[in-house]
Amino acid sequence: MLSNLLRISFLFLLLAQLSWAAGPESADTSEYQLSNGLKLIVREDHRAPTVAHMVWYRAGSMDEVNGKTGVAHVLEHMMFKGTHKVKAGEFSRLVAAVGGRENAFTSRDYTAYFQQVEKSKLEDVIRLEADRMSNLNFDDAEFLKEIQVVMEERRLRTEDNPRSLLNESLMATAYMSSPYRHPIIGWMNDLQNMKASDARDWYRSWYAPNNATVVITGDVDAKKVLGLVEKYYGVASAHELPVRKPQIEPPQKGVKQVQVKAPADTAQLTMAWKVPRLEPGKLDDPEPYALELLTAVLDGYDNARLNRVLVKQEKVVNDVGVGYDMVSRGPELFLIGTTMAKGKTVTQAQASIRKALEELKKNGILESELKRIKVRILSDQIYKRDSIFGQAMEIGSTEMAGFSWKDIDYMLQKMQTITPEQVQAVAKKYLVDEGLTIAVLDPQARTSPAKELK
Amino acid sequence: MSTFFKTTFACLFSIGLFSNAYAILPIEQLDSYKGAKAYLVQTKALPMVDIEVSIDAGDRYDPVGKSGLADMTAGLMNYGVKGNKGPLTEAQIADEIADLGANISLSVGGERAILRIRSLSRQDLRDRAVQLAAAMLSAPTYYPKIVEREKQRTITSLLEAETKPEFVLERRFKKSVYGNYPLANSPTVKSVAAVNTGDLKQFHQQFYRGDRMIVSIVGDVNRAQANEIVQALLKQIPQSGQPIAKLPELVRSPIEPLAQREIQIPFDSQQAHIAMGMTAVARSNPDYFPLLVGNYVLGGGGFVSRLMSEVREKRGLAYSVSSYFIPGKENGIFQAGLQTKNDQASLALEVMSSTIAQFIADGPTPSELAAAKANLVNGYPLRIDNNRKLLDNISSIAWNDLPLDTMEVWTKQVEAVTLEQVKAAFQKYLAMDRMKIVVLGAKNQ
Repeated sequence: MLSNLLRISFLFLLLAQLSWAAGPESADTSEYQLSNGLKLIVREDHRAPTVAHMVWYRAGSMDEVNGKTGVAHVLEHMMFKGTHKVKAGEFSRLVAAVGGRENAFTSRDYTAYFQQVEKSKLEDVIRLEADRMSNLNFDDAEFLKEIQVVMEERRLRTEDNPRSLLNESLMATAYMSSPYRHPIIGWMNDLQNMKASDARDWYRSWYAPNNATVVITGDVDAKKVLGLVEKYYGVASAHELPVRKPQIEPPQKGVKQVQVKAPADTAQLTMAWKVPRLEPGKLDDPEPYALELLTAVLDGYDNARLNRVLVKQEKVVNDVGVGYDMVSRGPELFLIGTTMAKGKTVTQAQASIRKALEELKKNGILESELKRIKVRILSDQIYKRDSIFGQAMEIGSTEMAGFSWKDIDYMLQKMQTITPEQVQAVAKKYLVDEGLTIAVLDPQARTSPAKELK
Repeated sequence: MSTFFKTTFACLFSIGLFSNAYAILPIEQLDSYKGAKAYLVQTKALPMVDIEVSIDAGDRYDPVGKSGLADMTAGLMNYGVKGNKGPLTEAQIADEIADLGANISLSVGGERAILRIRSLSRQDLRDRAVQLAAAMLSAPTYYPKIVEREKQRTITSLLEAETKPEFVLERRFKKSVYGNYPLANSPTVKSVAAVNTGDLKQFHQQFYRGDRMIVSIVGDVNRAQANEIVQALLKQIPQSGQPIAKLPELVRSPIEPLAQREIQIPFDSQQAHIAMGMTAVARSNPDYFPLLVGNYVLGGGGFVSRLMSEVREKRGLAYSVSSYFIPGKENGIFQAGLQTKNDQASLALEVMSSTIAQFIADGPTPSELAAAKANLVNGYPLRIDNNRKLLDNISSIAWNDLPLDTMEVWTKQVEAVTLEQVKAAFQKYLAMDRMKIVVLGAKNQ
């Protein structure tokens, strides 16, 4: 429908102007490096009197070694268990007293800690966070309690969650040598055998200013923030980091399959292909951008291809989701995950997915489909500014993957230049069986009696 | 050893509580239209606008035997409409929303259905997004084929959910705590299967009308533009309709022997899931603030609550444990919960019960009360620091009929809470011999 394409193109131009008129982000953002190697990035956003303060350590589960999986995340828990000056549990009490919201999270690529506060309380949380960068001091008894908490977390999020179990097996099957094959939370047996000294070794190895990036967004003055950061983080001493081995995954030579039996009603199917990620220094490589756009063409809105064909027309699956993230430290997968519709089999779903992909590989995608996705990306650039925390997250995760926050705008511009042919080309090149892993959840009835006891 | 802690703590308090040093954006009341009230907060920094329509058409109005009807009535509104230029299919609607760079979402809770639009504030884009939303609200088509497909999808999801401990627990807990109130009934395979196209059309006609709607707007529009948005949204909506039968009162959870209040559901998960709670208060209840401040101490304060300290920090029994009040427009409940490996279920339940019992009996200590107020008052700016959060606030104020200066006086109301008020409020509304308990899993002993 020509008029449709014209209309989108018109909106597209408007949006491009709007997002340009909102100004380049570099104008509000400053970057500094302390003499101890700590990097500081400040984004000023004066809409409301609040601040997000985050510290990112470039040490995630991918830096762990065999037998100690989960230690990055366990250490994240132990970071709340006291320093030489602040006793166990006091960190959270002090943040709470200034009205702060806080938490921490561990990924394959990094571990990050954050507080959100009213702006006059920024110094209080910087002081606390800087203290635990160098002075963590917990006793064995605290460790023994906390490792129980982490095992409960694993039971909650993984052992009793079939989708997590399926994903865990998928990763362990897709990768032979890359540390991405291990779950972030760690294998249960490794948690059972973890010692306080393992967590302390991890801390000593990776927690150093030269392995950290502080990101502060909100109603602040960059120069004043630099003064505070120098005062508190500046005293930390740099030290040499452990050598990171590349552990490059060898090329896959054919389809891999794995089946997981777990309590569930509906079968699930995930298909995962090995695909490239964006490499630092190679920002002009079109393939990762084309893969991001392919994700959205397949699943980016309610009438995107897979939802339309598999859920609404063929009714072969109940839900479908597509995943790919071009910005990461480790190798990337292009994932299509589904749960079956009632009465449909995994074989039927797989055939439908393959058919939809073949159609795309053969006939390409419409200009209007791609424009629609690009409009979405432009409007999201404006919406994302509504959250200062979201902006800090974007800056930090990009930096951890080896890029600069300055690359974010460039990546978004680059995304706008990708053509339908380039999207078709990556589908043809990478969504092939040589690099495919298939994971199937085989649902098992629960054995518990249905009747309740009083 | 603790000098750092003591001096820091003293210092924090000497700074004093956060005082309203900056202006809180005012809520403007817009012209009422078709019997619907409408409100606006203007924020100009970003070229975007968030719009919400709340409809008094939540799950509590599901007819007996048709639980899930309210959910489906709202959830299917974007799957085909009669637009002012002819019918639009689900595909056309989805494509157009995407082309506008807008988001339109639909959700249904116990009390109300909610339609939300996020759009760029540029008039042509915003107008079209509003027109699409208006068509969804006023003229959904509920094509039988699509209704059948979505019923089947809902049933498939329900069957899956019934294998999950958290879902089974929550459904059973609601049944216990809501008693004769309609929210006791959750959707089942049978009740969803019983819904037909006629039911959807009838429910829509009955409930989707101006006198059951509230519009809230936050963003880069002025008062005149906001009034236009409200009128465009509700233009095709009838102002009122036939009277709707009054819902029964939520009866207070009665005093009962433990055996009557506690339910055990055998379940072969690794963890036992436990819920405990009873009826409590509505948002407009004058005791709302003492209960909010008190619950921060008991189980609402994240890492620093008593429940977190007793269950997780001291004993390592659970990853998450919390308590909260869920205050609605006419009534509300209190709920606490945790998950722990099966052989610790009895111990964890005992620790949770005794912690709650002791808090009801004794209330917070003076330092706990001071810490709770410090957190809530100092942290208030974080509750209103972007458009999305402002919308959540206005929406709650409008829905619960709270005064329009609620955001301005919120911190003062927290500061005014006394120890005696907290203790009295907890004793007035909560009682251990009324608490419903659901334990799912293999409880030991």
